[in-house]
Amino acid sequence: MIENAQLISLSRQMALQRQMDVVANNMANVNTTGFKSEQMLFEQYDMPVARDRDFQGSDQPLAYVQDWATVHDLSGGDIIQTGNPLDVALNGDGFFSVQTSGGERYTKSGAFQISNTGQLVDLNGNPVLGQGGPFQFGPAEKDVAIAADGTVSTSAGIKGRLKLVEFAQPQALNREGDNLFSGGTPTPSTKTQAMQGSLEKSNVSGITQMAEMIRVTRSYESIAQLMSRQDEMRSAAIQRLGSVNA
Amino acid sequence: MKALYIASTGMSAEERNVEVISNNIANMRTTGYKRQRAEFQDLLYQQMRRAGSQTSNQGNMIPAGLEIGSGVRTVATPRVMSQGSVSPTEKDLDIAIRGDGFFMIQMPDGRTGYTRDGSFERDATGQLVNSSGFVLQPGITIPDTAKSIAIAPNGTVEATLGTDAAPTQLGQLQLANFVNKAGLESVGDNLFVETAASGTPQIGLPNADSNGDLLQGYLEMSNVNSVTEIADLIAAQRAYEMNARVISGADEMMQSTSQMR
Repeated sequence: MIENAQLISLSRQMALQRQMDVVANNMANVNTTGFKSEQMLFEQYDMPVARDRDFQGSDQPLAYVQDWATVHDLSGGDIIQTGNPLDVALNGDGFFSVQTSGGERYTKSGAFQISNTGQLVDLNGNPVLGQGGPFQFGPAEKDVAIAADGTVSTSAGIKGRLKLVEFAQPQALNREGDNLFSGGTPTPSTKTQAMQGSLEKSNVSGITQMAEMIRVTRSYESIAQLMSRQDEMRSAAIQRLGSVNA
Repeated sequence: MKALYIASTGMSAEERNVEVISNNIANMRTTGYKRQRAEFQDLLYQQMRRAGSQTSNQGNMIPAGLEIGSGVRTVATPRVMSQGSVSPTEKDLDIAIRGDGFFMIQMPDGRTGYTRDGSFERDATGQLVNSSGFVLQPGITIPDTAKSIAIAPNGTVEATLGTDAAPTQLGQLQLANFVNKAGLESVGDNLFVETAASGTPQIGLPNADSNGDLLQGYLEMSNVNSVTEIADLIAAQRAYEMNARVISGADEMMQSTSQMR
């Protein structure tokens, strides 16, 4: 039974270490364009095998803790003005679509560039998708304008419309790194507004993450203390029960 | 425990950010300087439970995955190629470009440098050179006898020679433009050189094609906005501090582990 207390504490400590990793990742990405904060969910894991019905009173089931999922906090980040015509912020639930070598990916980061071949690309050179495929600009075209509905036009006329998508279950999206999300079933987003000359900053709140970090370190400490106490208890029990005078 | 290393990626990214911001502030008064911005991306994720994997034979799925990130990286420092404000200098060989385009400068190593800095001088032979003495391309020579030099918005350089009544055309300035201006490589001295990412230069006349026009007697100031830079600096500094706090927090956790009996 005493060992169980230690195993339960251990399950909590392992979960807390991973939660610290999540907090550290949020904090590291506090200035990452379009980054969405992560939160960790825990669940109680009942251990039925440890129940023993041979005792008189019913035995308490053991409840371990398990980190169950990380959910994306998809609330909007601060929108800042950059004045760069190729910076686009999205106001709403929509994502941009980009074409990577691994297929279509989705991002909230609208820091785009024009490649040497005149394509609209993200910072890794992945083409940004419009509803009719990537955007191609000629060398003489200028004054790129992006309207609120995502229509991209230049001095040479309308070039197409940004492919903005949303998801019925955004929590099912997987993070790929490089500000990209994958998976899910995209549907066209109609309510998302594009804002040219602005960028959506990370939605990580420094204060919340700091508070979360303090909570994690303190509960880790108290669990460590608890384990020490358990150990003392066990050593006392061994000393007392093992004593020849008992 | 990855938190230590994750927070260290955060600290080094913010350090980069402060470097970029301080370079912008240092070049606040540099003619034709274009400000840079540090852009970050999150690193790969460790997928511990992948969203969408099945949890039963009935086809139940995990609605949200368990993903642990591994930090941040600085991915690019693109230049914001917006127009800087033009300020009058009343010097006849100061030229500002209003719109797109770069002046072409013959660099000593044989390459062509591209610049928005239009403060030119005459060298001993009368050729137009930039502040480092590099010759402007296409070369324009202004004779000793030239008076009242006039540079038209389309780049035509005219001067009245000696006692002539009518001005003589001495040449026409040309501008280079790039598909991807942010892809130019900075080589210092206000000069950029072409790269594979920028594409090849499209050389044309000012006020034609997609090039801007020229303003004589003006210089283009840097496009650094001091207020935004200072605000960015404060944000970067605080983010650095908070990442440092995460490191000490992770350290505390490891300390309480090592003190366990």
